Amino acid sequence: MVGYGTQRKSDITSSISKIGGSDITGLVTPSFATQLAGRAAGVQITQQTGILGQAPRIRIRGIASVNSGTSPLIVIDGMPIYSGDVGGYADASGLGDLNPADIESYEVLKDGAATAIYGSRAANGVILITTKKGKKGTAKVSLNSVYGIANAVNTFDLLKTADFITISNEKRTNRGQAPWAIGNTYDTDWQAAVLNKNAGQMDHTLSISGGSDRTLYYISGGYATQDGIAKSNSMTRLNMKTSLEHKMLSWLTLGGGLTVSQTNYDGLNTGGNSLSGNIFNAMRQLPNTPIYNTNDPTGYNLSSNGQWVGQWDNTDPVGDNISNIAYVLDNNVLRSKIKRTLANIFVSADIIKGLNYRMQASVDNPNTTGFLYYNPVHGDGSGVNGRLQNRTDDLLRWNVQHILNYNKVFQAKHSLGVTAGAEFQKERNESFIAIGTGLLDKFYNQVLVSNAYEVQQSGGGATEIGLMSYIGRVNYNYDQKYFGQLSVRRDGISKLSPEQRWNNFVGYSVGWNIANESFMKDMKDVISQFKLRYSFSAVGNTEIGTYPYLGLAIASPYGTLNGIAFNQFGNDALTWETSNKTDFGIDAGLFNDKLNVTFDYFKNDIDNLVFEQPVAPSLGVPYNKINKNIGKSLSQGYEFGINYDVLSSGTMKWTVGANLTLIKNEIVTLPNNGADILFTNNILREGESMYALYGYNYWGVNPANGNPVYYKGDGTTLVQGNLANSVYYKFDPNNPTVLGEVSSLSAATDRSIIGNSQPKYFGGFTSKLEMNSFDLSFLVRFSGGNKIFNATRRDLLNQNLNNNSTEILGRWQSPTQVGDGVTPRLWASSNTFVNLTSAPITRFLEDGDFISLDNVSLGYSIPKSVIKNIGINSIRAYVQAQNFVMITKYKGLNPEMESTGVDLNGTPRAKIVSFGLNVNF
Amino acid sequence: MKNIFKYLGVFIFVIGFNSCTEDNILNLSPINNISVDQSFKTPSLIQSSINGMYNAAAIGSYNSGTANGGRGYIWGAAFVQQGDNRGEDVVNTATFYQLTYTATYDPTTANNVYYWIDGYRLINRANLVIEGVTGAVKDGVITKEIGDNYIGQAKFLRAITHFELAVHFARPFNETSGATHLGIPYRDVGVDTQTEIDSEVQKKRNTVGEVYQKVIADLNDAESLITSNTLTYASKNAAIAFKTRVYLHMRDWAKVISEGKKLDGKYSLEANPGTPFLNSYSNKESIFSLLQAATLNPGVNAALASQYKRRTLVCISPIIWKDTDWLADDKRRFESASDPLAMVFTLSGRKYTNKYKDDVNNTDASPIIRYAEVVLNMAEAYARTDDAVNGLALLNNVRNRSLAAPATQAYTAFPNKTALVKAILKERRIEFLMEGRRWSDIHRLQKDDIAPIDGIPAKVANGNPAAALFTLGTPYTGPYGVAAIPGSDFRVLWPIPQDELNANPNMEQNPGWK
Repeated sequence: MVGYGTQRKSDITSSISKIGGSDITGLVTPSFATQLAGRAAGVQITQQTGILGQAPRIRIRGIASVNSGTSPLIVIDGMPIYSGDVGGYADASGLGDLNPADIESYEVLKDGAATAIYGSRAANGVILITTKKGKKGTAKVSLNSVYGIANAVNTFDLLKTADFITISNEKRTNRGQAPWAIGNTYDTDWQAAVLNKNAGQMDHTLSISGGSDRTLYYISGGYATQDGIAKSNSMTRLNMKTSLEHKMLSWLTLGGGLTVSQTNYDGLNTGGNSLSGNIFNAMRQLPNTPIYNTNDPTGYNLSSNGQWVGQWDNTDPVGDNISNIAYVLDNNVLRSKIKRTLANIFVSADIIKGLNYRMQASVDNPNTTGFLYYNPVHGDGSGVNGRLQNRTDDLLRWNVQHILNYNKVFQAKHSLGVTAGAEFQKERNESFIAIGTGLLDKFYNQVLVSNAYEVQQSGGGATEIGLMSYIGRVNYNYDQKYFGQLSVRRDGISKLSPEQRWNNFVGYSVGWNIANESFMKDMKDVISQFKLRYSFSAVGNTEIGTYPYLGLAIASPYGTLNGIAFNQFGNDALTWETSNKTDFGIDAGLFNDKLNVTFDYFKNDIDNLVFEQPVAPSLGVPYNKINKNIGKSLSQGYEFGINYDVLSSGTMKWTVGANLTLIKNEIVTLPNNGADILFTNNILREGESMYALYGYNYWGVNPANGNPVYYKGDGTTLVQGNLANSVYYKFDPNNPTVLGEVSSLSAATDRSIIGNSQPKYFGGFTSKLEMNSFDLSFLVRFSGGNKIFNATRRDLLNQNLNNNSTEILGRWQSPTQVGDGVTPRLWASSNTFVNLTSAPITRFLEDGDFISLDNVSLGYSIPKSVIKNIGINSIRAYVQAQNFVMITKYKGLNPEMESTGVDLNGTPRAKIVSFGLNVNF
Repeated sequence: MKNIFKYLGVFIFVIGFNSCTEDNILNLSPINNISVDQSFKTPSLIQSSINGMYNAAAIGSYNSGTANGGRGYIWGAAFVQQGDNRGEDVVNTATFYQLTYTATYDPTTANNVYYWIDGYRLINRANLVIEGVTGAVKDGVITKEIGDNYIGQAKFLRAITHFELAVHFARPFNETSGATHLGIPYRDVGVDTQTEIDSEVQKKRNTVGEVYQKVIADLNDAESLITSNTLTYASKNAAIAFKTRVYLHMRDWAKVISEGKKLDGKYSLEANPGTPFLNSYSNKESIFSLLQAATLNPGVNAALASQYKRRTLVCISPIIWKDTDWLADDKRRFESASDPLAMVFTLSGRKYTNKYKDDVNNTDASPIIRYAEVVLNMAEAYARTDDAVNGLALLNNVRNRSLAAPATQAYTAFPNKTALVKAILKERRIEFLMEGRRWSDIHRLQKDDIAPIDGIPAKVANGNPAAALFTLGTPYTGPYGVAAIPGSDFRVLWPIPQDELNANPNMEQNPGWK
């Protein structure tokens, strides 16, 4: 399978990884995408938290754009689908609606030659998904059932009441203030208030498929439910897929497919900085306070004014005035309900021998209704006396393709393939939202009920995007020795001005299979294939916003009065962002293809990056930026893949595979003469890797007084943050008792790049062993070379009246009890200064390296001889364990719980043990 | 069966070819946005563009990345909260305003960064209004009279916003003779083309003298051009009132008085000091306030009633609360669970302001200037120019309405000019407590000849002060958990945002900041 057609694997001269659906049967994951992690070189798929419905991060050969989209195009049976979040109030990944059991195979198109045929949308790679179709023969019925239990991979090591009281009061007494933590009646585990234990999972699929000479069919139904690691988070998916093909005439086939699904997600506030964000909240709660209080009318422990969690015997309210998270999770509702239709019909005509015309019309229509209820009594909704929101997101994308394919072999040795076609695609995405606040009563918590609220608001909008393309591809090989391919695509897109919207994308590749040369004939047993290939192509990136070139105004009311104002600076010279992708590869098949080895060197040169060029804020231009084609970046690396059939005797088969990717990227040019572009934790700087972590270098703790000590920008001068007055003074390690001259820690000159946020290597190792009736397989995945700024750890060392992690026990206490040398003296209500919360510091910088045993599966198939008589073809039972072992030095919950190198208060990922049964009739 | 497939085939062809034209697919126009070129093409859109300018003042954008997701930077809430928390008369009880409160900000701290960014965002909208309206008048879309009324309002917002930025990012007017020290760039060109970006970015920081001169010029224009008179829009009177504030900073006492006199009879003080807050949209005293609605306001993370009342993030400082010049039975200490005129409430023994009432829908108007300030501005100008009679009379004018027994408690005389000026300054702290006025006074009184303040005064420690610290009787004498910052210290000024310096080679950082 390649874009817009098929080619024999031996003919391919580009970099494509294939993953069979059978490799990943029975894994319990919220979407099929996470199952691909670790299975192919160059492909990184990360589920950053344990929240069901959260879209996974997919990167093919690293980040291919700085500002624009970085997710690959996902194409199911020729239709580029909606793959991001599809709306509502709970996370609702567009990849979650597909039943993984309906997938026949995946192809990951990585290099330019493979993706060039997708032209403007190919910058981030393409994942082609082929779903199951009927096969000729008698009807086959297949039943697959999986039951699982999920738990958090890890939880925080928080202080118990006794230590909490010591630490909290030391924060105060150090500052000359009275103790604030009082009372040890309780020792509450607040993490248990937000995390589920033994969350249930199940997944059932029943399919029937078969076909005659003329008609092929496949029908399946699936039902899956998953409870989240986070309380109040769950998923239910119902779906049905049908596929039908009918050969009307010897030369004419008509067919189509229809997948309908309904996926419901229940979600919650997971904001890393939200007072009712599940993890943010739970980690801060005081262990000496209870969750429930029978004396409160609500039954929960609330403060006297009902606004935050009750402080119990403590003298002060809990830091940050957080809510009682148990009440919030028990009452608030955030929901997404996705009804999705994915349909296609096609006609395929063999016009003359070798020449096929295929036309396919497809539609993808996720229609999501969202519902949100914030209880009026307490939590996020109390500020407005309750909140109800209903919304709909109706996304509709249609795609029509006309493809001519011609294949002919001349004089036995010249193979020629020609593809020509046209593709048209348009989408219209509408949303409508209605909001009521100031609820009549907390009774109204199911749906927005007319007139049951005081303040009403509504909103919505629509966007449209169109794409037209003309496609051409020629491939040729001579005697399976010399290969060449040229593809051209002309794309027009609605996102650019009429003058700039059309662009040509060209790709070519050449290959040489040395193994087929006559001089290698004698070696055929040893070297069955040895193909050298080279490819180059220019592809584009269309994820640049909807109308990035236009100067626009936006509705901007003044109170209740209509208003309008400048909101987007126009630049009608904006043009395509293009990537020049180069790939050099070797495919080798050895020992009758028992051993397959692949190697690739790749380079991705991105030019005309569509960049939000910073404009001086004092000019007042909207968002202080203009979309411009400025900037260049470069990523390059190596990929290695190996598959080896270790054993394949009659009753025993053992296959192992491994892949490794080495990658680095660099920003070559930035706008404004290469001026740095700063974010809270990251930086874009010429010559550096994308989104490097940018902050202060930490020296340690002044042993004489417990002040935190930092390096100035020169790398040698040391300054200490004097806790008593929040002023920086010079620090001399040889004379630590002295506060030196007044100094500063400057955001402009004392920050530097402290780490690379992107992994430099990653890969996987798989093994599959079948022995008699047993089978055993596993996947080990690894990644590393990146740094993580563990902001969660910083939050856990909060200086307010909040709980802390046990790390804080290593604090400086006195010149004779200097602690771990890293954790400063405690100082109440001064968190921003003690832990320098304005920027990353190396104190919380850690290696992201890990090795993970992602899954192990053990199966048993009842011998055919036993079941043959009862009309069953096969029965396989299996157990699986996912995410049970991880080797890492990372101190946080999990080194993959990061986003651009920052780990902040995410919900732990799940480890799952599951049991499955697969029966084929 | 065959027929079904035939029809299917025809159907595919029809939908396949029917809509696949460039016009249908590629020539798409925005559905959610009007082109910026259209914003001044009709009288109704022009009226909406005026409102869009006030939207920037009332809501801002902050770091939301959206048009209406701001936190009330600059005039909708932030100027109150930042102005209070830079001073010593409040205590920041949680983390929210800690960097401002403890002066541990830097060029990347959101508070000072977005003050600047949203301030200039409003200024550019005002400049675009001036240009757009000028064009519309020329094209005959609206009359000159209507146009002038709009232009006057835009100039007013441009003036007061530059002034407010200068108060935080530049030293006071009297720092150097002739005010030749670093001010801020005074932007008076609407920027919506690349050419304008290229030319405007060349302009360096104006001197403080130039900034104040331009502020006054714009306010004078506003005074003469504006014809409408609504509390929630800039009015002729608002321009006059604001001039008394600016001239006070410029120490032009005669002008403070002459401008103030223009408002004689136009406004009066309410009998009860709580009325301007209880009836924030309809009272005799408020001169200019911004409109806030349940459907659009600075939100749960910024709206005044949300921060100061519901979330109790900032309390009144014992420093001012225990001040014995503020009499124990003063109405501005009035607490009541049932009477909405209450001005203070107590939670766990700590005192919080009750000036902002609607902590559910956040619909209190954002107070920008009220007549009590004009009166006290004039009182101070009289006092400083040795007119103790008028100075005392105007001071009492404001103070007496709050006294339990004015007949016995009113000020009758002061031993000298210094005492009178100090009493007026103290009265400002009491009268405008938690209205964001404190920083402005700290700023202008640096190097003052009568009642100088050196830098930023010492404050009560960040966090919840103990209830006992609020017991009246003796003045507060410490502890001060946040040390004073001397006037010579660079932290007295906010730093110019790093984002500005990175994108603007002509911008100079404030001395000491790097």
